Amino acid sequence: MSVDKRKRFILICLTAFGLMISGCAGEPSAEGDLAPGERVSVEERSAEEQSSESDIGQTVRLSGQAGNVLAADSLAVSEIPAYSGFPYISVNDNIPLFTDEELVQNSFETYSKLDGLGRCGAAYANVGTDLMPDEKRGSIGKVKPSGWHSVEYDMVEGNSLYNRCHLIGYQLTAENANEKNLITGTRYLNTEGMLPFENMVADYVKETKNHVLYRVTPIFEGDNLVAGGVQMEAMSVEDKGEGILFHVYCYNVQPGISIDYATGESRLENVTAGQQDRADGAAETRYILNTNTQKFHVPSCSSVKQMKKANTEEYTGDRDDLASMGYEPCKRCNP
Amino acid sequence: MIVVAVVDDNMGMMFNKRRQSKDRALRERILALAGKGKLWMNEYTYQQFSDCDTGGIQVDPDFLDKAGGGEFCFVENDSVVPCAKDIEKIILYRWNRKYPADFRFDINLEDSEWKLAETREFTGSSHEKITEEVYVRG
Repeated sequence: MSVDKRKRFILICLTAFGLMISGCAGEPSAEGDLAPGERVSVEERSAEEQSSESDIGQTVRLSGQAGNVLAADSLAVSEIPAYSGFPYISVNDNIPLFTDEELVQNSFETYSKLDGLGRCGAAYANVGTDLMPDEKRGSIGKVKPSGWHSVEYDMVEGNSLYNRCHLIGYQLTAENANEKNLITGTRYLNTEGMLPFENMVADYVKETKNHVLYRVTPIFEGDNLVAGGVQMEAMSVEDKGEGILFHVYCYNVQPGISIDYATGESRLENVTAGQQDRADGAAETRYILNTNTQKFHVPSCSSVKQMKKANTEEYTGDRDDLASMGYEPCKRCNP
Repeated sequence: MIVVAVVDDNMGMMFNKRRQSKDRALRERILALAGKGKLWMNEYTYQQFSDCDTGGIQVDPDFLDKAGGGEFCFVENDSVVPCAKDIEKIILYRWNRKYPADFRFDINLEDSEWKLAETREFTGSSHEKITEEVYVRG
């Protein structure tokens, strides 16, 4: 780590979080706290910078590099390009933020403590054949990652919108039902975003018996319970990145489905919350009535929070019955 | 020329200027395929053959232009469309895995110009199942 980077890292630690971070380089701490991330700038890649064959149209360039052994620069969600049809984009020209001191030839794996909201932090490993599984993965169903919902859509492969996504895939470190390694991720994130990178690393390690430094950092915006995506970094150790070298951001999205990342709730795109509630609830739907304005709302409507308690009533039943009682649907939530 | 290439489930070949994967058993198979004939490749590809070269490998940055009829060309990071008219046969190996890709095999084998003539499967040194497909002009 350069002197400037070290200074910046220390400054960030002291001013932003006041946390004492141990082990800026060298051997990793077992379960370190995260260093704060610096911001990134996003630029459209010029035509010259893109290979003509590339299907990754944008890249995120890091404006600074800081971090401890466990945590890379966390990307700021607001500065990451919106999902545009590709499951991942390159970050920092695919150069991970590992330091030379981290290129060690012993295997290890570390996972961050859950934060106050029960969310995962960075997971970091030096993947070697000795960490890889020699048996099939067991059940992980008992773990409920932050923002978890069991919800199904016909349009999703396997129907389940969410998978318990391993930050470091089971095929790499054999880590099974570890709550510090499982996030709420869409099927698309799991199979189109993360899995191809995991496969590439796993097969490289199996073939060469080399090590691969590997770090996956879930990126949460504010207090959201569901990550907007994951930052993945990897570098093969013995050949100094000749075999494996990448730094990407994988989007936690599911095409065709809109996700509320604050809670994990979801609905089909282009369907209002009210229409979704009607579809989910069929004839027996729960509504909130405003007895003063004679409007009815879905429970999640923002207008409900503004209603006086004295004017609020719950109703469960047929929507048409409400109309016959003289109630009108709220124009905001369109129940 | 006979083009030899290896692809993932999405016809990907490379990501970030690196091959998606490699396999010792596959290399041995390609060498056996070429036999005593010429096997052309560029310097990047030769890096994975340097330990097992028995003299038949021709290394040249313009190997796709120089290969003659019936000679094998192992392609990893080159477009093959510019030399499509010279290709007699394509031997495609499939990893049967999904890897990241930003460079893909660029001949459309769904095109009626090409016909799948043979398929075989074998176990690699680190890949459970590698599929060999032979395409000839339809």
